[in-house]
Order: sequence, then structure tokens, then C-alpha cells
Amino acid sequence: MNTPLSATQGRALYWPIQMRRNVGVRSLFAVVLVFLVAYGLLFPGLFTASGFAKFTQSWFPLALVAMAQAILMLTGGISLAIGATVSLGAVIAATTMAGPLGVAGGCVAVALTGLGIGAATGFIVVRLRLPAIVVTLAGSFIIGGAALLILPRPGGAVPAWLSDLLAGNTPAAFVLLVLIVALWKLYLATPLGLSLYAAGENPVGAYRSGVPVDGARIAAYAISGLLSTGAGLFVAAQTGSGDPVIGAAFTLNSIAAAVLGGIGFLGGQGTMRGALAGSLLLSLMISVMFFLGFTPVAQYVAQGLIIIGAVAIPQFRKVQQ
Amino acid sequence: MAPILAARGVSKSFFGNPVLRDVSIALQPGRVHALLGENGAGKSTLINLLSGALRPDGGTIEVDGRAVSRMNPAIARQAGIAVVQQELSLTASLSIAENIGLGAYPRRFGLVDYNELAARARAACNLVGLHEPLSTPVGHLSLGRRQMVEIAKALYRRPRVLILDEPTSSLSATETKILTDLLERLRGEGIAILYISHRLNEVMTLCQHVTVLKDGTCTADRSLEGTDAAGLVRLMVGRDPGDLFPRWQPSASPANAISVRSFSAGLMRDVDLDIRRGEVIGIGGLVGQGQEDLLLGLYGAIPARTASATVNGVSGLPGGVPKANALGLAYVPADRKREGLHLIHPIITNMMLPAFARLPALKLRSRRAERETATGLAAQLGIKGDLARPAQALSGGNQQKVALAKWMPHDPLVLLLNDPTRGVDVETKREIYHMLRNFAAAGKAVVLLSSDTPELVHLCDRVAVVREGRIVAMLERGALSEEAIVSAAMGAEQRKVAA
Repeated sequence: MNTPLSATQGRALYWPIQMRRNVGVRSLFAVVLVFLVAYGLLFPGLFTASGFAKFTQSWFPLALVAMAQAILMLTGGISLAIGATVSLGAVIAATTMAGPLGVAGGCVAVALTGLGIGAATGFIVVRLRLPAIVVTLAGSFIIGGAALLILPRPGGAVPAWLSDLLAGNTPAAFVLLVLIVALWKLYLATPLGLSLYAAGENPVGAYRSGVPVDGARIAAYAISGLLSTGAGLFVAAQTGSGDPVIGAAFTLNSIAAAVLGGIGFLGGQGTMRGALAGSLLLSLMISVMFFLGFTPVAQYVAQGLIIIGAVAIPQFRKVQQ
Repeated sequence: MAPILAARGVSKSFFGNPVLRDVSIALQPGRVHALLGENGAGKSTLINLLSGALRPDGGTIEVDGRAVSRMNPAIARQAGIAVVQQELSLTASLSIAENIGLGAYPRRFGLVDYNELAARARAACNLVGLHEPLSTPVGHLSLGRRQMVEIAKALYRRPRVLILDEPTSSLSATETKILTDLLERLRGEGIAILYISHRLNEVMTLCQHVTVLKDGTCTADRSLEGTDAAGLVRLMVGRDPGDLFPRWQPSASPANAISVRSFSAGLMRDVDLDIRRGEVIGIGGLVGQGQEDLLLGLYGAIPARTASATVNGVSGLPGGVPKANALGLAYVPADRKREGLHLIHPIITNMMLPAFARLPALKLRSRRAERETATGLAAQLGIKGDLARPAQALSGGNQQKVALAKWMPHDPLVLLLNDPTRGVDVETKREIYHMLRNFAAAGKAVVLLSSDTPELVHLCDRVAVVREGRIVAMLERGALSEEAIVSAAMGAEQRKVAA
């Protein structure tokens, strides 16, 4: 039954699959490119080392929360607690790193908090079969409350050298992002990572095929929590201190970025590269509107309209077919 | 020779409804075993028991002659049992190879070994004649090709027992040929195969042994040698109707309630149909041949086209549900939980719902009038207890009665019923049958889509049998029999020659 094949045919499988996944996001990449050029014309400093560093730093936390949201949406879930988790991550970073734990201990504390919160949320949603939207809404109050208990008003501190490394005149943010994306590709190449798609799109079929559906979904929540507190750590480094409500805007922006990136609400639809492109597009739009002198209110209105458009266009295409 | 997989005297009930009673089946290596039965005979439940997706209430499942007390899908997979289900288990966004290996990926350093996966998936694909690149997302394939991927997925795991649930229903003739050749070969390699199909000629040519289920009991377990298609059909049907059905009396009038020519909707194509006042007309056939689209198209719930149509004296199709209601059409859906009732709302609200649509926009509801009407309906239907309870507190049978009752105050001229007695207890069935005959006797028309063949035979004036989107037979009262309906539904007439 088993015809021996040369190894080249196997390598000829992984890459074609990856290329196929680009098909759905090509037009998005084109739009992102247009915005990048527009941004470059408005702000020529983008192509200098410090301009590039500043730009990637403003994009970085949004990219992380977009990934955090996209993982959950791929499994058919969603989180309304991402903003609160970012705040908690920032607060923990600002209160631990200047203390006896030091930077390394602070990073571990931030990571464990994220993993723990995510795993607990995932366990409640998946094992108790409760709606993710309700559990994470309630979770956002609990997590946000915890952040306020630890640090009732902005304060704490992140060592200056760490702020300079992450948010100074270095491409550290970009390097970190490349590293995180590489880790994600690695995760997606594991059986558990790959079964995310099956668990999200056809959970019954996946279960019958022997996929640990519950495990894959809980792992997704844990990774999502880790990315969210990681974004919080970065935000704390950017501001040099901790602010217990700094993450609030990230919840909706993470959903917006994922939706712009073509992640569907039904599970199993979309790709991480799409979500990342979506977060870049959103980040660019915010910057471009800022440079064009939009008032903040007008920015929100425009952002909302663009997101509705992003969801509507594929729908219209489907109807036309 | 010992069977690889066997069920011994298994029983299974759902919500107190027995679905399987004392059924035994033994799958021998090197044999293609056919499992036959009408809709709802218990075939799917038996497959689920054999593959560990369900656990029997009584009896045992045996693997290699040893009883397995806590069978589950994981144990079944380890024992080499693979099932090709009717509903596909594939993920559209993953590639063919990733789908085939799902749940059993070869690993290297904890990662999916794409080299090994490519080699093994290619080997499985070659067996079923799938030559698309392995990187093709399954979502880009036609339904027939997806079915072949599903079969390749089962073969990838090198099963000792292969269970196929209607594998050919979405396959082309070429694909079917590939599959039958493949099954011959696998049989030669000593694999035990359980084959479920509604196509009798396939069963006759491919299988050596047959088990027939009827109403959850086993009516035959024997070699196919010396059996013909007509004999198999007889084994699948024929039970004692008892006094379940009211005595049939002709009440049809020559006047048409609905008349359509070249009617197309959904799967249905070019249907000519006259529905007379005062008759119960049955719509029969295997599940999912387009019967539901016929009802929904007439009701205006899905788009429909027609050359000419007359509905209760008005020409043209209603084209929308409010218009259909205004013309005296009422539709009772099959899935009462999702379409027929609002389960968490009170019984009385459910009964009154169609009435709300008739209220002028600014007119207020009269609670008293509603209560009186609902109480009257409940008494008529024998629904006991507080009508303020949510509808989900009622049994399946009583829920169905509420779904029917809500139309009665509107005095519909045509009732379109989608399998009204599915999952309903015998007593309620009897009441519903009497209701329908009385309705017809009052000069109105009943269109009864049913998967229950005896119901069609004993209740209807005529039965239209639907296969692949067309009415393939219109059986008049004199010619009605379960054998006639099942034969027409399966296209057995032409196939007897082939077999």
C-alpha cells in the first residue's frame, strides 16, 4: 500500500501548502503596500533607522493582540478580555521588574500570568461549554479589577535600559516580532497547532478523527493570554511605568485587526499572516489619519466604517458567485 | 473464522424511544457485508455503536472475539476500525494531505513530518484515484472528490475494518467504479468491510452478506447468494399497521387547490403537480432528494420558478411567506426545535405566533382573547397543564401538536407538512393522523412529506415519489404499497435487470 517516494516530494508539500495560504490574502497585502507607500510619502522619516524603529514600536503591541485574537477566532472563540490582560501585563511588569525579581523574574511573572489566565479562561469556555463572549466579558472585569488592585493609579517603573532596548532607537521590536512569527510557524507545524483549524471549523469531524479538540482549544487560549500580557510588558517599557487601564483600546482593535485580516467569526477561516497584515493596516490607517489631521472622533468613525467594509466585501463577493 | 468486529444483542434508546433492539452483526475478514434498512431503521445508530461513538444500553461490542466494555472512538481507531461517515469530517481550509493525516500525523522532533505525510497520503490517494496536488485545500474540491478524500483518510490509517456509510451518494459513475474495484481489492487483502447503500444494484454486485434492519430489529442476516432485489425490498418493509391509521375514505374533489407546471425550486426540477381539495397527497422517497424544497418552494420560503401556477384560485406562486399565509397555505417544518417552535417561550405564545403577523401594526394584543383561543386549541389537542410553561417542557409529540395547532385558528386551505411524525410517540401519531384525515374530509388539502413509508401507504390518497429532484412515480391509491414506494424511491425497477 505504501509506495516509497523520494524525500524531495515531502519538501514539495510543505511549501506549496504555505503558498496556497497566500491566495486569500493577496489583495490585502496589496492594500497594505499602498498604505505603506502613502505613509512613506507623508512621513519620509519611515525609511530612516529611527523612523523604522518608531513605526514598528507603534505597531508591535497591536500585532501581538491581533495574533492573540486571531488564534481564538480560528478555534471558533473570541476574547473581550484582551485589553484587560494587556493592562495586567503592564502592571505586573512595572511592579516586579524594579523589585527583587529583576527583569528576568518580571518577564517570567508576566508570562506565567498570561499563560495562567488564558488556560483558566480556556478551561472554563471549553470544558464547561460556556459561550466565550460572556466568559471573556466577565473575565475582562476580573482581570481589569486585578490590575487596579495591584496598581490603583499609574506608577511603578520599568528599568530605563529595558525601555531603551525595546522602545528606544533600536529595531528590537521588529526582531522580536520576526521571532514570534517564527515560533508561531513552528507551533503550526506541530500536530496540536495544525489541528487548531480542524477544531475550529469542524469540531465533530476533528474529534472523530482523533484530534484532541478540547486540548487544542485550551492551548490556544493559553497562547492568546501569553501574547496579551507580552504586549502589556512592551507597553510598560514604552511608557516607562505601569498604567492599570492602558490596554482598554486593545480589545476592540484586536478584533478589528483580525477581521481586517480576513479571520472569520465561525472558526477555521483565515490565516495568521492575514491577521498580522490586518494589524499593520489598522496601525497605518491610524497613523495616516493622524497625519492628515483627523480629529480623534473622526478617526474612530472612519475606523468603524473601514472595518464594516472589510467584513462586507467578502460577503458581497460570495453572493455574486 | 472469528469476526474482527461484532455486535451481540445490542440495544439503544434515545429519550425512551428504542432505536435498536437486540441486534447482532458480525464482520468477517475478507467479506463485504451490506447493511440495509429504510430511513430511521437504526443503521446510523448501529454504525455509531460499532465505531464507539455511542455506547449500547444493552449487549456487547466485540473486537477479535473479546468484549470491549468501554468502547470509544480512540479504542476503535487502535483496533483498526475506520468509518467513512455520511457527514464529512474534513476541514475546508486544510490541504488534502493535512486532512488525510488529521489526528494521526507522522511526527519528527515533535513536528508534523511532511515528508512522511506526503508519501503516505499520496499512497492512499493513489488507491482512490485522487490525482490533485496534495497541497490543494479541500474547500476547493467538489463534493464527490471530498468523499474520495474521506475514503483516502480512512485508508491512510490501514484499517482492518472499514465501515462506509452511503459512500457513493455523491460520487460520479467513474468514481463509483474506482471505489468498487478498490473494495474488491481490500476484500482480497482480508479487510472486513461494512457497506451501507441505498443503491441495490451496487449491493447485489459488491456484497456477499447482508443484514437488514427494520424498525430497529434485525430481519435478515444471511448470504446474498440467491437473493434478488425484490426480496431485499420485501425484507426492509412490511409491518403490521394495526389500528394506527384511520379508515381511509375518499374525500378528494376534482377541484385543484394548487396546480403547478414546470416548477423548479432548490433541488427540484420541472415538476408538474396538481394538489386536489380534500385529499392527502404524500411526498415520498429517500431522505434529501429535494422533497423539502418542493414544500418550501410552494410556500414561498425559498426562490422558485414555474411556467404556470394556480394557488387557491389565484394565479402565480405566492413568492413569500406572508403572501402564502394570506392565500391559505400553512407550513409545519420537520425540525420543530429549530424552525417550528420557540422552545423557551410559553406554549401560549407559540400557539398565537402566526396570529401576531395578522395584527395591524398599531393594534394591541388582547390577552383574554388569546387565552381563550389557546385554551380551546389545547383542549382540542389534548395538551394538558399550564400554557404559560415554556414549549420545551412538552414531550416531542406534544411539541409537534403545538407546531400544528398554531395554524388552526387561521383555517388554512392547504397544510404543507414536513415529516410531522418523526420522533413522535405512537399515540400522538394516531391523533395527528386523525387530524389530517378530518382536515381533508373538510375539503382542504394536505401535502404530507414523510420518511415513514407505512404512513404514506395508509393515510394518503396519492403518493408522489421523488428521486434526484424529480417526481419519478405518482402512485394512486389502488397501486399504493410499501414495496411500490421503496422500489420507486430506489429506482429498483430499472436495476432489477442490471442485478
